[in-house]
Amino acid sequence: MYHKYDAVVVGAGGAGLMAALQLVGKANVAVITKLYPSRSHTGAAQGGICAALGNTEEDHWEWHMFDTVKGGDYLTDQDAAEVLARDAVERIIELEHMGLPFNRTPEGKIDQRRFGGHTRNYGEGPVRRACYAADRTGHMILQTLYQQGIKNKVTFFNEFHLMDLIINNGRCVGVTALDIKTGELHTFHSKTTIFATGGYGRCWQVTSNAHACSGDGTVTAYRAGVPLMDMEMYQFHPTGLYRIGILLSEAARGEGGILRNSEGERFCERYAPTLKDLAPRDMVSRFIYQEIREGRGVGPNKDYVLLHVDHLGKEVIDSKLPDITDFARTYLHVEPYHEGVPIQPTAHYAMGGIPTDIEGRVIIDEKGTVLPGFYAAGEVACVSVHGANRLGTNSLVDLVVFGRRAGQHAARFIKENDYEELPTTPEKRSNDLLRFVEGGAQSGRKESAATIRKEMQECMMTNVSVVRNEKQLLTAMKKLQELRERFTKVGLTDNSTKFNTEKLEVLELGSLLEMAEVTTKGALERKESRGAHYREDYTSRDDKKFLAHTLAYRSPEGSVKELRYKPVTLGRFEPKERKY
Amino acid sequence: MQVTLKILRFDPEKDKKAHFKSYEIEADPLDRILDALNTVKWYKDGTLTFRRSCAHGVCGSDAMRINGRNRLACKELVGDIGKKITIEPMLGFRILKDLVVDMEPFFEKYRSIKPYLINYEDPPATERFQSAEDREIFDETTKCILCGACSGSCPPFWSNSEFIGPAAIVNAHRFIFDSRDQGSDERIAVLSQSEGVFRCRTVYNCTDACPREIPVTKAIEQIKRVMLYNR
Amino acid sequence: MAIQTPERPKTALKEPTKRSRWTRTGARPRPTNAFELYSWYFFRVSGILLLVFALTHLVVMHLINNVEVINYDFVRQRWASPLWRTFDLLLLFLALTHGMNGVRTLIYDYVQSKGWRVFNISVLYIVGIFFLLIGAQVIITFNPNLPSLPAK
Ligand SMILES: Cc1cc2nc3c(=O)[nH]c(=O)nc-3n(C[C@H](O)[C@H](O)[C@H](O)COP(=O)(O)OP(=O)(O)OC[C@H]3O[C@@H](n4cnc5c(N)ncnc54)[C@H](O)[C@@H]3O)c2cc1C
Ligand code: FES
Repeated sequence: MYHKYDAVVVGAGGAGLMAALQLVGKANVAVITKLYPSRSHTGAAQGGICAALGNTEEDHWEWHMFDTVKGGDYLTDQDAAEVLARDAVERIIELEHMGLPFNRTPEGKIDQRRFGGHTRNYGEGPVRRACYAADRTGHMILQTLYQQGIKNKVTFFNEFHLMDLIINNGRCVGVTALDIKTGELHTFHSKTTIFATGGYGRCWQVTSNAHACSGDGTVTAYRAGVPLMDMEMYQFHPTGLYRIGILLSEAARGEGGILRNSEGERFCERYAPTLKDLAPRDMVSRFIYQEIREGRGVGPNKDYVLLHVDHLGKEVIDSKLPDITDFARTYLHVEPYHEGVPIQPTAHYAMGGIPTDIEGRVIIDEKGTVLPGFYAAGEVACVSVHGANRLGTNSLVDLVVFGRRAGQHAARFIKENDYEELPTTPEKRSNDLLRFVEGGAQSGRKESAATIRKEMQECMMTNVSVVRNEKQLLTAMKKLQELRERFTKVGLTDNSTKFNTEKLEVLELGSLLEMAEVTTKGALERKESRGAHYREDYTSRDDKKFLAHTLAYRSPEGSVKELRYKPVTLGRFEPKERKY
Repeated sequence: MQVTLKILRFDPEKDKKAHFKSYEIEADPLDRILDALNTVKWYKDGTLTFRRSCAHGVCGSDAMRINGRNRLACKELVGDIGKKITIEPMLGFRILKDLVVDMEPFFEKYRSIKPYLINYEDPPATERFQSAEDREIFDETTKCILCGACSGSCPPFWSNSEFIGPAAIVNAHRFIFDSRDQGSDERIAVLSQSEGVFRCRTVYNCTDACPREIPVTKAIEQIKRVMLYNR
Repeated sequence: MAIQTPERPKTALKEPTKRSRWTRTGARPRPTNAFELYSWYFFRVSGILLLVFALTHLVVMHLINNVEVINYDFVRQRWASPLWRTFDLLLLFLALTHGMNGVRTLIYDYVQSKGWRVFNISVLYIVGIFFLLIGAQVIITFNPNLPSLPAK
């Protein structure tokens, strides 16, 4: 089926909804999403969204910007960080006006709390900057934005799976998507297309990400010829529930929770004397990794540490951390009132993604050439404001700040430009892909997608996680190559057309395999340690060679063709050693 | 542990009627029901269809009837449920395929109560102030994830497809009791109609079913009281 | 020469086509419908009153007196007092309206087709009002001064 819209937004998480809200009324806009909007993974965000409101203590956007740049280990583009820190304040107020039920101070203002890596006066000590709604901040943002979408009568195409990005005459002219309910392919012809499809944490075995976080948008752009930026920068959150990876927000430590090893020692103190347990995520993850490696892990296999909130008292736990303590109770049968919760680092957030400028426009080379009509925002995009390591609460800000900017720029673009024609066969690549996947049902192909996915996740978890080295990365490259060959023989047992979720899982696995490879390749070539990317064989940061963004281009066969490097935009803050 | 999953199957392209099918699988007592369903889907029968996403009870995709009660499959552990597990789609919804039900009418009812802040005054330059106590009043109902477990457990909702259902009422409550909102009258106009809040029989099934532990029936009763006393 | 794009329909796909009453009513607020509210409230109030009335009725007619002693004379004596007449009239009214309200709710719960609803509700109201009227007529027009029936 054919549709024509001024703007097509793919993804209805925080970023997608925010972008769509800028366009309603000004243009004819459709939002395509493979989940109902309220099911997007933004709803899982717990801890908070930060802005230098200064509601509880002195704070300035410059401090916020500094923390963002330093947190990103200076791989952050400083023009983007400035936009983020400045715009954040207004955006939070806007969210409040939209109805977001923030927790309040005694004076009725938005309450703020501490969060990892956020400091006062350029690193002097922790500051209260994260605005929050209990530990359901993401849920409230998602609900509020979806509610605004309903109010403004945004057209949603729910349960439509993005298949392809259509480019013609050097302009992005739309997308194709599969209607999951009917199995029918739809073509959306548009002036502008905004991708906001979220992350790809499902590459790893232990992850805080949803099953739906499979990097579909990232891979779709990549397949259409757009490079991917800084994919090796993948964040592991220090506190995921042992074995299953469900997140226990940094808010637990922000409110005073502490990490202890098997000797009961508060080990973060040893590594980061100033910020202690509230050091940035990449560091705390490495501290945990180090403790486990040196035999101070807890449990029969000594492979986890404990997060204690029991000393905070029942009242604080119940009012400020209700959901996450509930997770410990439900999934591990552990009672956080009295005992430590077993945790381990969990694959959490992609700093990298589709490269964009500060207006959300997608760029396709190291010179910053724009692909007209194509925008990206949210976790799928790499502005790059998180650099080599995202600070907690900065992602939700990213969604609303850059989601909005992308939407507003798209609105301008729509006004100034006409429709570009579709190519003659806009659906060809999608149909080829579908035919390949569906072909598995008859052709006797026998490989199981589930087994391939499991092997990939295990391989990524052991070889491409918190600490990396060349040997492991090469092993991973080889394994991924093998898995991709096996993937071409993957079979399908469900050959129905309506609501065929097996088919979707195969499509998602295809995305994940490519994402895993780009991540590993980037990590292999970045011969330094920076932020979330820590190499045992190159333990120091190398600003001479690698103060640059990796751009990965795809070959027609689907592997990484070449890596290029794009210099980082510097500014106010000179790269310095990162200590907390 | 060895568990038997008895699942209600329905393929719209093949079946005239839904039927049960049983699967024997090996599962860890700490596995979620969702993990068990995935084990079936990935290693036994790829045609089994259900919705899922977050896998930890925050997105609301996988509400279903587990041993006769509406639960999120990702929030129940196999060990807590037992060796024999019967899984069906929720009642009161049209089945699209296996455990997947048609959520459109549900969302339509949700939209009807104007689930967004209505305030006719120009917003101030700062945030709108609200005391911590005022914020507390509607805290419970902000937790709703629109999974449909409450509506799908409600006898009046089963028998009466026009009844607006507890989920929509909970979301109306979230705004009616928000001190910043000025749209209560519009919402109450909807809720006071014949298929509105008064079809509630205070069965309390919804309160039992809610995976977010929202006191749903209490919220509904509070709305009835507001209608009575604020006229 | 640019590549010719084939002719395509201009209209975009709209939101789901089937609309229920909720979307329609949700769009424009109607004046608040108080009937359901009052019937709900009345349900509760009449319930409490019925508890008092029905229990009194039970105690007086079945415990203090006994079915064997209740005959025409008993009724005649009782209804000679306007107090008891009012009591019985109220009991009749409350019991019938409370019951009708209950049945009406059941109809709303289980009967969804518009036509059947109208039919069922009409039958309910006709039957209910009929009983109410003859009941009331008996209680109000009863003449206690008529001679008692000859004993058998
Ligand atoms: C457990 C957890 C806790 C977090 N806590 C915080 C926090 O406290 N503070 C903070 O700042 N950040 C936090 N984050 C990070 C942040 O929540 C995410 O990065 C952010 O929500 C991503 O939003 P998004 O809009 O980019 O994507 P998402 O919300 O993931 O939305 C993706 C959208 O794209 C759609 N989509 C995906 N693929 C397709 C396809 N193929 N076709 C069609 N549609 C598709 C989906 O349906 C969905 O609507 C947390 C993340 C996690 C996982
Ligand atoms: S999968 Fe999200 S609620 Fe169960």
